[in-house]
Amino acid sequence: MGELLGTLSVASSGMEAQSMRLRYISENIANADTPGYHRKTAPFEAVVDGGKSSGRVALGDVELDPSDLTRIYDPGNPLANGNGYYDGSNVDMVVEIADAREAQRSYEANLKLFDQARQMSQSLLDLLRK
Amino acid sequence: MFDRPEVLGMASALAANASARLTAIAQNVANADTPGYHARDAQPFQDSYLAASGLPLRTTRPGHHNGFSGQMLTAVSDRASGHMSPNGNNVSLENEMLAAAGVRQDHDLALTIYRTSLGLLRTSLGRR
Repeated sequence: MGELLGTLSVASSGMEAQSMRLRYISENIANADTPGYHRKTAPFEAVVDGGKSSGRVALGDVELDPSDLTRIYDPGNPLANGNGYYDGSNVDMVVEIADAREAQRSYEANLKLFDQARQMSQSLLDLLRK
Repeated sequence: MFDRPEVLGMASALAANASARLTAIAQNVANADTPGYHARDAQPFQDSYLAASGLPLRTTRPGHHNGFSGQMLTAVSDRASGHMSPNGNNVSLENEMLAAAGVRQDHDLALTIYRTSLGLLRTSLGRR
């Protein structure tokens, strides 16, 4: 029974990390047209509790993607330089959408395991009935 | 007057093993996107059961463990799950789902055996 409750906490940590990841993806997509915006990425890290791995997962610190910004030709833009170019963001919509799909898939897998652990502990409790 | 029937001990050991394996699977799925993480699994019940019954301990007093304690069932080791991805993670969600279905089956089996055995005991005591 205690094992199953631990399983619930591990699965919920996975769901929390995936939803935070989806949040950063949505921030990136929202700022896809913001000049000078660097896309945010956050690494997944295993949580270490009391010197040993607890099996839980958490998002690490946010990092900015250092790759080059796209240069957009628009001489009428107030930000444009002498040649008519200004720096856009380095968000690639295709990458973000693929990332969002992966986050959704992992979230669903965690949810399925959470549900399974819940059902297994429920059937264990059903033994006590009657 | 009567010892705990062995079938009950075996069924509860199988249920405990299923819980331990589900925890390992949940850890794998939670870390499906963690760079450098290797999939792990608890020892299958068959292996731990054979290991336990190969060298049976003598139980001469009620306080003695009868060999099917849950402790030896939680040994966790690396296992081959899927292909190694470029970030050093080898968790395959499909294989984990498959393993989870197997664990569910084991757990249901153990509980069914446990319930049926209790029913047999009740019948032998003349109750319904």
